[in-house]
Amino acid sequence: MLRLTDSNTRALLAQPESGMGYQVVEATLSDNKTKRGVAYNAELLLFEEEPRRIMLSTPYLRLLESARSAAGEIKSLRVISRATVTTLSAREPSGSAVHKKAGPAKDGPKEKTKADEVFKRFSAYPNDRRVASDGSLLSGTYATTEEDARNVKTGKDAVARYALPDLAPASNVFTVRPNKDTDIQRGIVEPAFGQPGGGVEVIFTNGTQPKTVTGPMKIPDE
Amino acid sequence: MRIRLEPRWTKRLLELPESGMGYQRVDIRLIDGRELKDVVVFNAEEIEVPDEFARTQIKDVRLHTA
Repeated sequence: MLRLTDSNTRALLAQPESGMGYQVVEATLSDNKTKRGVAYNAELLLFEEEPRRIMLSTPYLRLLESARSAAGEIKSLRVISRATVTTLSAREPSGSAVHKKAGPAKDGPKEKTKADEVFKRFSAYPNDRRVASDGSLLSGTYATTEEDARNVKTGKDAVARYALPDLAPASNVFTVRPNKDTDIQRGIVEPAFGQPGGGVEVIFTNGTQPKTVTGPMKIPDE
Repeated sequence: MRIRLEPRWTKRLLELPESGMGYQRVDIRLIDGRELKDVVVFNAEEIEVPDEFARTQIKDVRLHTA
């Protein structure tokens, strides 16, 4: 996390926002490497790999005061078009980043699951109504990829990453192992309900087969 | 405030897609003719409504379309 310099701030203020109060940016560092992150209020930069939960637990001004200065660390900042944001948390088994168009799953292309793909569903409710008694998911149920779920350590992390409207920690984690070629749509959670979003979301447009859902496993609330 | 939906509305909502993980955005029509648009239903069984609507009865629930 970096506190941006006046020069960085001016550069960001000359570029459009990605959403209310923030910009998704690519920073060129002093060693010419590039890193992506989110700039809040054109003054505080949180890199992609840094946990966002700190934004929930610590007052913004305190974060700003305690952040290290970006002086000498950043050569330039460029706001990335939402349409070309790469989801680095979504990776092929080979480890290569999957280039995904940013946008909600409901607008994503229709796809089929691969063999042995695993998904996770975070829920505030141990009696999650979308999980049927036969161990299937109902049609139109959301989940995330197993890979993206690794970014979530607590129920509050899930609320932030998947922009959930219920502030109750989504600490109940269901595991979904659908059959190969199950219909899905993938996308990126947009900021909503005062939460940053940014996680991968998947809709099982026609649900999943019986005995494909297990859990829930409980993770810490915060 | 949050109120619990009658089982018939839960049953209907479970036949409809979610809007995100664990929730649905809906429009509701009340028996007194008023409408509430884009309110959130959690887990297909609890709905968040302004306090003044707490005692009114629901006539219809539909998914909110933006």
